[in-house]
Amino acid sequence: MSDSVVKKDKVLSAIAISQENDKFKAVELRKQDGRFELLWAKSSEADDRQLDVFAARSGLSIEQAETDSNRIGIVGFNCAGVAFYRIWMPVVKEKELAAMVKLQTETRLPLRAEEVELAWRKGRTRDEEVAVTVAAAKRQRLQEFVEGVRSVKPAKILLDSEGIVEVWRRFFGGDAGSAAVVSIGARSTQVCLAEDGRLSNAAILDMGTEDFQEGLEDEQTEAAGGFAQDIRSVLELFGYAEPAELPVFVLSDGGIVVESIVSLLKSSGLDARIALPELKELTTPSEISAEEFYNYRVPVGLALIGVEERAEELNLFEHLYQPLEEEKKKHWLYSQKVVYAIAAVMLVVLVIVSYAIDVASPGAIEKRLKASSSDTDISMLVQRQKLLRTVASERANLLELLEYINSSAGRGILLDTLHFKKGQPVSISGQADNPDLLYKFQESLLTKKDIKNVEIQNASKDPKGDKFKFTVTFHYKNFTKKAIGT
Amino acid sequence: MLERLSQRDKRALKIFAICAIGVVVFIFGSKWLGHWVQARRSLAEVKAKVEAIGGDKGSVVASIVPVFEMPQKEETQKFLFRNRLNEQLKKAGINSKPLQVLPAGKVRKDGYGVLRLKCNAKCKFGQLLDFLAKLNENPYLVGVEELRIRCDAKNREDMEMDLTVSTFIK
Repeated sequence: MSDSVVKKDKVLSAIAISQENDKFKAVELRKQDGRFELLWAKSSEADDRQLDVFAARSGLSIEQAETDSNRIGIVGFNCAGVAFYRIWMPVVKEKELAAMVKLQTETRLPLRAEEVELAWRKGRTRDEEVAVTVAAAKRQRLQEFVEGVRSVKPAKILLDSEGIVEVWRRFFGGDAGSAAVVSIGARSTQVCLAEDGRLSNAAILDMGTEDFQEGLEDEQTEAAGGFAQDIRSVLELFGYAEPAELPVFVLSDGGIVVESIVSLLKSSGLDARIALPELKELTTPSEISAEEFYNYRVPVGLALIGVEERAEELNLFEHLYQPLEEEKKKHWLYSQKVVYAIAAVMLVVLVIVSYAIDVASPGAIEKRLKASSSDTDISMLVQRQKLLRTVASERANLLELLEYINSSAGRGILLDTLHFKKGQPVSISGQADNPDLLYKFQESLLTKKDIKNVEIQNASKDPKGDKFKFTVTFHYKNFTKKAIGT
Repeated sequence: MLERLSQRDKRALKIFAICAIGVVVFIFGSKWLGHWVQARRSLAEVKAKVEAIGGDKGSVVASIVPVFEMPQKEETQKFLFRNRLNEQLKKAGINSKPLQVLPAGKVRKDGYGVLRLKCNAKCKFGQLLDFLAKLNENPYLVGVEELRIRCDAKNREDMEMDLTVSTFIK
C-alpha cells in the first residue's frame, strides 16, 4: 500500500513493550491454532527508568527475537504529539495518491515539511472517494525516541493507539463498526476512533483516573464536567458533529472509577458503554484477573498486531529506524559472508586459470617454434643470438665518446691527441688558455654519465708560449677497465 | 539415525569429516602442486629458449649490432673483414696505408678466436666521423680495439689516425 507501512511476516510469538507514566510494561503473546496465549507479563520497578535496563533486568529477549523467525519484538510509541488527519481523496493510482496525500497534509501542518514525518493508509471507499488516515509527528521527537529504543533492537515501533484499538477489537468485545475507544490511564486518557476495526484518529487528554479520585461521589465536579466536555470536543474533532451518534467504549477493569466515568459520560448525552475484558480466547500459564489484564492492555494490543495477519500499520518510523532483519535483506550482497564467498571463488578461478595457462603455454610455444624452424635451426639461432650479445658488449660507441669530449671542451681548449684502447683509460692531450678552463673541462667531463675518474695527469705551462699543456685520462663505460677474463 | 547421535558424537563426526577432506586435499594437492611446479619450470625453459633465439629483436643489442655474419675460418674471415673495412674507408674518403693483419690471439671461452686489423691513415675530422658512423654496418666487425688520433699542428682539420679493429674467427 503506502510506502509508510511495514509488511508483516508470519509470526507466532511477539514480545511488546509500552510505556505509561514512566513505567514500562511488557508481555509475550503467542498465537497457536487460532488461540492466543499470554506467556508472561512484566512491569518495571521504580528504578527501571531506562528501557534497556528494564529489558535486561526482566530477562526480556526482545533482541534475541531478531534471530528467531517465529518471534518478533515490538516497542510502543505514545501518541502524545502525533497529529491525525482524516482526508477524503479521489480514487487514483497508489503513486499519485501518495503524492496527493503528502501535498494535502503538508498544507495542514503547523511545521515545515522537512521537520515532520508522515504515515498514512487508505480506509473505506465512498462515492468514488477513499478515506485516508494520516499520522504526522515532529521528526526530532521520533528520532529521540528511536535513539532510546535502538539498544533493544525491536523489529517494529508501533503507535500505542493502534494497540488500544486492536486489544479492544479482540479482547474487549469490539467489532468492525465505527466507535470511539477510550483508554483511561492514571494521568492521561487516550481516545481512539476505530473504523472498520482499525485506528483512524486519536487524541490524548491530560486527565486520568487520579483526577477523578476526589469527585467520585459528586459527578458534577469541575474535573468531571471538563472531562465530558473534552470527550465531546474530541469526537467533534473526529468529524462527528453529533457525538451522541457514535458509541463510546471505555475500556474497563471492572472497577468503580471507570464505571463512574461511564455514568458521567452517559449523563452528558454520550452513548458511553463499559468494555470489560473477554478472555475466552486467551490462555495463560496461571489464572489472570480482568484487572491484571487491563493493566497490560496496551502491550497486549501491540503484541496482537505482531502475531495477527492484518492490514498494514501506520509506521511513522519508516525513514528513521530500520529493523535489523530488513537491513540484512536490503544489503545481503554486502554481507561479509557473500564477500568472502566471492573472494574465495575468484581465488579458486585465478588459481585454475593460472594453472591452465602454465600447463598449456610451453606446449603451445614449442609447437609454434617447431612449425617455424627445425631443431638444427633453433640451435643455430641460439648460438647466433649468444654471439650477437657478445659482440654488442664488445662494441664501444666511439662517436658518442667524441661527442662527449667535444661538448665538454669549451673555448680556450685545443685538443691535440686522443687515445682509446680497451683495458686502458682514455687519454686526451691538448692546450688550455688558463688552468680554470682546464678545471671546467674536467668538471664538464665528469657530468657525462658514461665517463668516470677524470684526472688531469700533466699540466704545465708551455715554455714557448702562454698556454698550458695538459693530459687528461678517464674511464669510458667498462671498455677501458682491465678485463677480468675472456 | 543422525537424530539419535549426541552433540558430542556429531562434533566428532564433523572433525573426522574435516580431517578426511584435509588428507584428500593434501594428497591430491601435493601431486597437483608438483605438476604445476614442473609446468612452470618447462615454461621458464621455453621462454629462455625463445629469448635466446631472438625474442629481444629491436632491443639494445639490435641497435648496436644491426648486421652480423657468423664467423668463418681464419683464412676466409680475414679477407672478408679486410675487404669490407677497406671499402668503408674508401667510402668515407680516407686513404689508408695497407691494412695490417695482426696475429690471432688466444681462443676465447666460447670457442672463437680474435683477429685484429690495424689501419694507419691521414684524414679530415669529418671523414673520421663519417667512417665511425658507418663502421657498425660491417657485418664482420666485433669492435674497435684501439683508436689514436693526432691533430696536425699547422692545420687542425687534418689528423693522423691509428685504428685497430677486431673480428671473430672460427
